[in-house]
Amino acid sequence: MAEVIIRKLTKTFGDNTVVKSVSLKVEDGEFLVLLGPSGCGKSTILRLIAGLEDVTSGEILINGEIVNFVNPVDRNAAFVFQNYALYPHMTVRKNIAFPLETAKLPKEEVLKTVNEAGRILELEQLMDRLPSQLSGGQRQRVALARAIVRKPVVFLMDEPLSNLDAQLRQQTRIELMELHQRLGITTIYVTHDQIEAMTMGKRIVILKDGELQQIDTPTRTYEKPANTFVARFMGAPPMNLIKGEISLVSGQLEFKGDGFTSSLDYLKMGLTPELILSHKNETVSLGVRPEHIEISSDVLAGELSGVVKFLEPTGADLFVNVAIGEETAVVRCQPKAKIQIGTKVSLKFSSENVQLFGADSWNINTTC
Amino acid sequence: MSLKHPIGIDLEDLARQDALTRRAKSALSYFVLGLFVLISVGPILYVISPAFRESKSLFSYPPQWLPNSFYLGNFKFLLTETNYIRWGINTLIFATSVTLISLVIDTLAGYAFARMNFPGKKLLFGCILATLMVPIAALLAPTYLLVRNLDRWTFGLIGLDTFGGLIIPMTVSPLGVFMMRQFIETLPKGLYEAARIDGASEWRIFTKIVLPLMKPAVVVLGIFVFMQQWANFLWPLVITTKDETRVLTVGIATLQGQFVTNWGVIAAATLMTIAPIIMVFLFFQRWFVQASVAGALKQ
Repeated sequence: MAEVIIRKLTKTFGDNTVVKSVSLKVEDGEFLVLLGPSGCGKSTILRLIAGLEDVTSGEILINGEIVNFVNPVDRNAAFVFQNYALYPHMTVRKNIAFPLETAKLPKEEVLKTVNEAGRILELEQLMDRLPSQLSGGQRQRVALARAIVRKPVVFLMDEPLSNLDAQLRQQTRIELMELHQRLGITTIYVTHDQIEAMTMGKRIVILKDGELQQIDTPTRTYEKPANTFVARFMGAPPMNLIKGEISLVSGQLEFKGDGFTSSLDYLKMGLTPELILSHKNETVSLGVRPEHIEISSDVLAGELSGVVKFLEPTGADLFVNVAIGEETAVVRCQPKAKIQIGTKVSLKFSSENVQLFGADSWNINTTC
Repeated sequence: MSLKHPIGIDLEDLARQDALTRRAKSALSYFVLGLFVLISVGPILYVISPAFRESKSLFSYPPQWLPNSFYLGNFKFLLTETNYIRWGINTLIFATSVTLISLVIDTLAGYAFARMNFPGKKLLFGCILATLMVPIAALLAPTYLLVRNLDRWTFGLIGLDTFGGLIIPMTVSPLGVFMMRQFIETLPKGLYEAARIDGASEWRIFTKIVLPLMKPAVVVLGIFVFMQQWANFLWPLVITTKDETRVLTVGIATLQGQFVTNWGVIAAATLMTIAPIIMVFLFFQRWFVQASVAGALKQ
């Protein structure tokens, strides 16, 4: 087990900088998820930690030791590839034994370790099969078995579930978490699936265009997003963002949007008068999650209101799309709520569930 | 009952016309294919008949296409009165050695160009490919001089009328390096990276991962080189002057006299010479198919 520290890590390919001065610390035994859209540099960070790519600048430390110029094998990190990367001409047994045979361990020890890994990952019946004779989930388990036999100090997983179907993905996700609980090995897991990140990660690192956006617990990234990108990326449907201006009126925060004004309790939002005044004359965005909005057919003048555009029933919920001027807000309602398309509705929310983002897109509340 | 389309088209008639067009197209393609078969197999068939006939009957009039009797005298003459067996052994040594050495060089060089990073890689690969443009005839004289001069530096191992001189210059093939590099590039990069993370050295990755996966390509290149060298005429003709190192192609050419040529014997020699490579090709035919679809089937 190990602690992994990244300091101002930068990686360029030609003129293209794919990782821009990223710094983070992964605690010993932690399950950290790198999350972001395609091309945000998350896989590159993983490959840099593994030693599959050379660092342009910055430092990578594993257990306190700078490993920038250390061979991949000597970093003692196991890498689980998106497409499994099993050796197609070798049986499951041979695949799992490959790193041990490469390390020239005695045959008895290799056999014992391979059998143990096979038992942990329930591969005993498949040991003499070739990868082409296995299902996606089984291949993934073999890839994991090959990774754990080396007794690595850190697990690096590059979208290991993305090739599986939805049902198998959920099942394997649970298996992976169980494996992590059992082995307690520091794990850095890359995904573009926010559900995977939310359910698996102890902390989530959100990246965009090679830049770090937020490092926090899944709940905090969802509830207190650092900027509008995180607010829109986390959650489906994403956080609603309504543009307007803020001011302090009679000890209350007043948000003035297109045809409406909302009074908010800034203390409940974790803001100070100074913070509010520093963003006084700029266009800010009010962020609120679909489940934190109450919809009502009683509309009062000056209230946030709009017209129901369309309905999205998902079974468990009913998502109501409300047009507010040129913007659209999504509201989560009970599946049996009686709402008609075309009706005018008012939208209400409480101060503690509201986030405010400045013109630079970052959360006004600097503690986020 | 005739099927009528609502707007009056006879559907049966349309179907008949369609079948006729299909048949005509099929006949045309068979004709073109047949023509190609005739061009490629014709010369082989042409030597079969004279090989089993006495020389004097070759020029009889009217021309005789098929032998009256199964005459084996040409083969007997070839095996007892000429050095055919010696030439055959020499050819086997020559073609096999060139094949094995080229495979080692081509696979290693192909791997280096496909997977390793070193300064000047692109330039070097460009230079290797550029040599493909130089005609073999243009290389004959300098290579001959090089081999002749190497004699004293290699204690007679590589020189005129030596196996070393015959084999070594033929082992370097830019086409082979190119083929192997292209094939290795099609292998998933993840396998190579996984092996690196598993602690494998370049040599172990090459021998345990890359080489087993490129077996079809290696076999195809091997057959290709073997067949090419088995039929190689120009270089052996230049470098060998004695029967001790002479190969079949050059040996058969020496059977042609200045004034009299026993065409029956030459036909028999030709037949015996091409028979092994046809068998080799037929035996390994499935590998050719495997290599050509290898890229399509990989996960």
